Amino acid sequence: MSLSKNTNDPHLPTIPGNENVQRFDPWWWMFFAVIGLIGLLAVIRPDPYWRILKFVKDGLGTTVLVTVITFLLVLVVGLFGALGRLSRLKFVRGFTTVYVEVARGVPLLVQLIFWYFAFPSIIKDIGEALNIRAFQTYLANPIAMAVLGLTLCYAAYMTEIYRAGIQSISKGQMEAARSLGMTYVQAMRYVILPQALRVILPPVGNEFISLLKDSSLVSVVAVADITRRGREFTGITPLPIETWTMIALIYLTMTLFSARIVGWMERRTRTER
Amino acid sequence: MAPIIQISNIHKHFGSVHALRGVSLEVEKGEVVVIIGPSGSGKSTLLRCINRLEEFNSGSIIVDDIPLDSAKNINAVRTEVGMVFQQFNLFPHLSVLDNVTLAQKVVRMRGKVEATNVAMRLLEKVGIPDKARAFPSQLSGGQQQRVAIARALAMNPKIMLFDEPTSALDPEMIQEVLDVMLNLAREGMTMVVVSHEMGFARAAANRAIFMDEGQIVEIAPPNILFSTPTQDRTKLFLSKVL
Repeated sequence: MSLSKNTNDPHLPTIPGNENVQRFDPWWWMFFAVIGLIGLLAVIRPDPYWRILKFVKDGLGTTVLVTVITFLLVLVVGLFGALGRLSRLKFVRGFTTVYVEVARGVPLLVQLIFWYFAFPSIIKDIGEALNIRAFQTYLANPIAMAVLGLTLCYAAYMTEIYRAGIQSISKGQMEAARSLGMTYVQAMRYVILPQALRVILPPVGNEFISLLKDSSLVSVVAVADITRRGREFTGITPLPIETWTMIALIYLTMTLFSARIVGWMERRTRTER
Repeated sequence: MAPIIQISNIHKHFGSVHALRGVSLEVEKGEVVVIIGPSGSGKSTLLRCINRLEEFNSGSIIVDDIPLDSAKNINAVRTEVGMVFQQFNLFPHLSVLDNVTLAQKVVRMRGKVEATNVAMRLLEKVGIPDKARAFPSQLSGGQQQRVAIARALAMNPKIMLFDEPTSALDPEMIQEVLDVMLNLAREGMTMVVVSHEMGFARAAANRAIFMDEGQIVEIAPPNILFSTPTQDRTKLFLSKVL
C-alpha cells in the first residue's frame, strides 16, 4: 500500500513489473477511429452509407447471436473433448482423437454445407427406410445447422487448446489434490482448471475472434448474417465498393472490440497475483 | 492391535525397470519410520504406493484396516493419509488460507467457519498465521513447505507421509520444517519419512530403513543403523552421505 503511493513521485524510476497497472489501453483509439469512420461516412454521405447500415442492421444481430451461442457451446464441448483426449481409457482417447482429426481436416465451409444440405437428406432417407414420419418431414433450421457446424469444427481446436492448458499444469498439482482425498472431478474443478484457464486465455480469445470472422461463412447456408445482408443489398443496388467497405468496417469494429476485451481480461488475471 | 500400515510383498515395474522387488513392511500406530537409500532405490515409489499415487503390480497394502483395492477404498485411505511433497505442490492460484481450507470444504464437507478455524489453528502451529492471506509465490520455500504440512494436517490424517520434504529447500530453511515435523512426531503422529536428514532421524525416528535396488536391505533403530550397519551396501552408502 505505502509503496504504490510513492509511484506518483516523478523522481522515482519506473519500477519493472508495474507497467501493467496502467489504466487505459491505447489500442482502444484504433477501435474508436473505426467507429468514427463509420459514423463520418454515414453522416456526410447518408446515401448510400446510412442506407447500407440500415439494411444490414438485423444481420448484425444474427452474426453476434451465432457467434456467441457457438462460442459458449465450444467452451463446453471443447472441455469434454480435452478430458477425452487425456482419458486413461484407450477407447475414449481414440474416439476423441478421431473426432479432432476429422473436424480439423475438413474445410469449415464444406462442413457447414454438409450439415445444412446433406444432413437433412440423410435424416429423410432414414425416415423413408424406417417409415418414421417426423424424419420424413424434417426441415433443417439454418441457424441451428450453422451453429452445429461451427461448434463441431471449433470445438476440435478448443479441445487441443484445453488439452495443452491442462497439460501445462504440473503433475504434482493433481497428485497433491488427490492425496488430500479429492476426486478426479473435484481436482479438475478446483485445482487444475482454474490454473489452466489462465494459461489458455490468450488462445481462447483468438478463437473467439476467428469464430466471429468465420461466422461470415454461414451466409452460404441461408443464414441472414451481415455478410449475407451485404450480398442482398448489392443484389438490389449495384454499389459493391461502398457496401463491402461498410461490411468490412463493421467486422473490424467487432474484432477490435473483442481483442481489447481479451487484452483487458488477460491483464486482470495477471495483476491478481 | 494390527499395525496401521501393512505392506506385504509388493512389486512395481516401470516398463522394464523393476522398481520394487517384493517389499514388506509394517508400521505401528504412532511410530516414526525414516527411509534412506540412494536415488532410484525405490524409496519414494514405496511411499507413493501407500496412498496409491503409484499403482503396484502385485502384493497388498492395508492401511488402517482398509485394503487398497477399489477406487472407493483408495479415496477413503487418501483422506486418512496426509502427504507432503518435495516440491510442496501448493495450489498457486489460491491464498495460503484457501490452500488449507479447500479440501476440508469439498472432501470433509466442513463449513467455511469451521474450515477457517481449523486452518488458522494449524497455521499457528506451523508458525505462519500472519501469512494466511498471502499467495504461495510470496512465501519462502520453508514457509511453503510448512503450509503444505498444515494443508495435509487439516484433513485430520492418521498417518503422514513425507517425500523428501527438505530436499528442495535452501539450507537455512531446513530446520524450520524439521522442527514442525519433530513436534508432530512428539505428538504421536504415525509418520513415514523419506529423507536423508540424519539429525531428524536420530531425534524422532523409532526405526530407520535402508533401501537399495527396490528392496529393504536393513532395518534398525537410527542410531544403530547409522553407526554400526551390518550390511555392506548400507556401509557403502553411509560412507558417501555422512
